[in-house]
Amino acid sequence: MSDEIAISVQGLTKDFRVGLVGHKLRAVDNLSLEIPRGQVYGLLGPNGCGKSTTLKIILGLVPATAGKVSILGFGSATSEARRRAGFLPEAPYFHKFLTGRELVSYYARLSGVAEVDLKSAVEVALDATAMTEAGNRTIGTYSKGMLQRIGLAQAIVHQPELVILDEPTAGVDPVGAAAIGKMILAMRAQGKTVVLCSHLLGQVEQVCDRVAIMDKGRLVLEGRVDDILARRDRQVITASDLTDKAWAAAEAALLAHGAKDVSLTHPRRSLEELFRELVKGSRDA
Amino acid sequence: MLNLMKQSLRRTTWIARITFLEAIRQRFFAFLILLSAALVVSSVSFRFLDFGHGELKFVADFGFGGIFFFGSILTLAMTAQLFFAEIENRTAMTLLAKPVSRWEFLVGKFIGVWAVLGIFIFTLTLILGLIMWGRHQELVALAEAAGRVPPDLSVSGVAAYALLQWLRLGVIAAMVLAVSSVARSFLFAIVVGAMAVLAGQLQWIAEEALLKEKQITTVYQSFLWLITRIVPNLQQFNIGDALALDVASVSNGAVWAASLSGCIYIIVLLILAGLGFRRREI
Repeated sequence: MSDEIAISVQGLTKDFRVGLVGHKLRAVDNLSLEIPRGQVYGLLGPNGCGKSTTLKIILGLVPATAGKVSILGFGSATSEARRRAGFLPEAPYFHKFLTGRELVSYYARLSGVAEVDLKSAVEVALDATAMTEAGNRTIGTYSKGMLQRIGLAQAIVHQPELVILDEPTAGVDPVGAAAIGKMILAMRAQGKTVVLCSHLLGQVEQVCDRVAIMDKGRLVLEGRVDDILARRDRQVITASDLTDKAWAAAEAALLAHGAKDVSLTHPRRSLEELFRELVKGSRDA
Repeated sequence: MLNLMKQSLRRTTWIARITFLEAIRQRFFAFLILLSAALVVSSVSFRFLDFGHGELKFVADFGFGGIFFFGSILTLAMTAQLFFAEIENRTAMTLLAKPVSRWEFLVGKFIGVWAVLGIFIFTLTLILGLIMWGRHQELVALAEAAGRVPPDLSVSGVAAYALLQWLRLGVIAAMVLAVSSVARSFLFAIVVGAMAVLAGQLQWIAEEALLKEKQITTVYQSFLWLITRIVPNLQQFNIGDALALDVASVSNGAVWAASLSGCIYIIVLLILAGLGFRRREI
């Protein structure tokens, strides 16, 4: 396997047995993927399409029915593979009686961080997730966004090469989601590989280098975000202070040169951008 | 190799530590320890119900019985609850995504639970021991005044009882973990675990039948033999009153044999739990 590949999934299939008679339910169907190192990789798809099952198999939490999975060259069920990976599950739950700092220390110890490096590793992780100040509060007092951030801190406390995030922005407000997006980009800047599972397509579009779209356990599309979103059969011309007369001349010129479906539209920002601007503005004020 | 073992021990210890902290925060634990303590303390008030036996024997039977009964309930509920809480709250997912093996997870859970059970057993036995010692002093004074033979009380016997009960609860906790490792629900684990405890309490009947019954078929004999090998004999730990009040009637060999078999059962049951949990989907 190439050193450039962080996760290799070959012919992965997972069947679950359901009901008393054990009917077979195929959650993942012959999935093959290669996730390059140092990139942010989005795993997308509707609910029940097999994303979370795939992530669990990658992390060795669920055994595969068929196929091979490796993380940075190590079999996914090995502790060597898990030592190099960090994981934030969807809607994470942690022991409420621990403080954020105690929780991150606990997971650091489980990840093999030496006692001499523990304090600094914990502080770096809390700082990276903007949880330093809240670190001494018990987890029971945390908001949903803080839970996600402390979950992210435990995932990165041992400086893994690979970070797997399952719905890291679920239930988080747009400002919090944007902060998590920034953290993901910071991780990429540090050379880490990030696998992101999310329904927030706007955010996926902003932070991911590549995406894979799954449906009914199968891979339906995979590629670079820029490549798969670009519509090669459509063009957009943007201009400001365009008069009706100028537009009419431009439209006539385009039609004269064989262009079809020529229309005038105004570019619009996304609701998410507007919301973030408004909320940020009121918070700053 | 040594380094790997040290790391494994460190992870297991930390899982045990968090399990212990989680367990002692549970109101159910506090409730049971208070209820058991109240029962043990009240044993002195009920001593007139001694049915002709020695007064201390009644207090010992009442107290040891209460400790065993509530200890068994606590072990069943706490072990299953702490295991399923990790699975259902999905903390096990975050934990096992770290370089933590499933064996370390299970052994850590067991040690955490067993430490809490140790506190339960030793606290209550200490209370019972103090009550028995106080009453024993009074009875000795009364017997000497009346020229009668004073009753016996062995403090080391009471301590040995506590150790044996701790082992017994350890066997029960390991049984519940073995069941939970393959069970799909908390309720199933509790019900099957309770049945296993009951079977363990009655296992001696099969052992006696195997020894005494001469006119039995080979099939029945094989069945009894299998039962005696599979089901742990929990009755062998039930020698608290003898250890405390008539220590001469219990050989050191019986205590050591019970201790050794308790340790072996714990190890075997934890191995079974590990095998069951090895391929469980988290």
